[in-house]
Amino acid sequence: MSTLNYTKTRQAARWFDIRQRKVGMWAYALNRITGIGLVVYLYLHLGVLSMLMRGQSAWDAFVALARSPFYLALDVILLAGILIHGLNGLRLAFTGLGFSVGGQKALFIILMVIGAIILLVAALKIFAV
Amino acid sequence: MSANTFDRESKPTVAWLWQVFTGVGLVVLLGLHMVANHFIAKGGLRDYAAVVAYLRNPIILVLEILFLVCVTTHALLGVRAIFLDFGVSDRVEQLVTRALKWIGVLTVGYGLIVMWFVIK
Repeated sequence: MSTLNYTKTRQAARWFDIRQRKVGMWAYALNRITGIGLVVYLYLHLGVLSMLMRGQSAWDAFVALARSPFYLALDVILLAGILIHGLNGLRLAFTGLGFSVGGQKALFIILMVIGAIILLVAALKIFAV
Repeated sequence: MSANTFDRESKPTVAWLWQVFTGVGLVVLLGLHMVANHFIAKGGLRDYAAVVAYLRNPIILVLEILFLVCVTTHALLGVRAIFLDFGVSDRVEQLVTRALKWIGVLTVGYGLIVMWFVIK
């Protein structure tokens, strides 16, 4: 039984093993890792929104804190996760529905370059606030 | 065991299609949410008065509720897919699916309560 569980865990842990992987596997691993991060963020975000129920002073104090450079840097990391997961997800949807199956490697690279450009522009905008 | 093997095969497909459907919805809704709340808003975040005014707009409220439903569905379907990667048994799969459905209902319910507190 313990051997079986170990095998299953190893099977799922393959996303984190980036040795000798092709672009498709990198894309898959990135999608899963950013997805887990975004689920954690979703629940943290919902938790933070509870401050809205505590009234104006609690929320406005949080807003003042969230405008600090540390939180702005976290925003950039969050945006990076959203862009990687979102753009890669669109690629997966396209290929899963039978479009551009042969060109998925090129599509991944193009989308990640687009994502990097959007991230750069957004980071400049975030820190210019 | 299901009498019709195609019933068993259709389940992941339906979940995957929902994942794609909510994912595409999120590209639009999350884009709107990020631009409206973090890029247009003065200082990158709305203060309390601005949040109240924003959510009291009925169109915005509907869009934010749709966003909440889409993001919760997409996130929990993703969590389910990760569980399935572990090669769990049918029974565990059913338990996980049921638990995630309840977590989804509670999450959307919580989000709606927060919105109600803000706009009331």
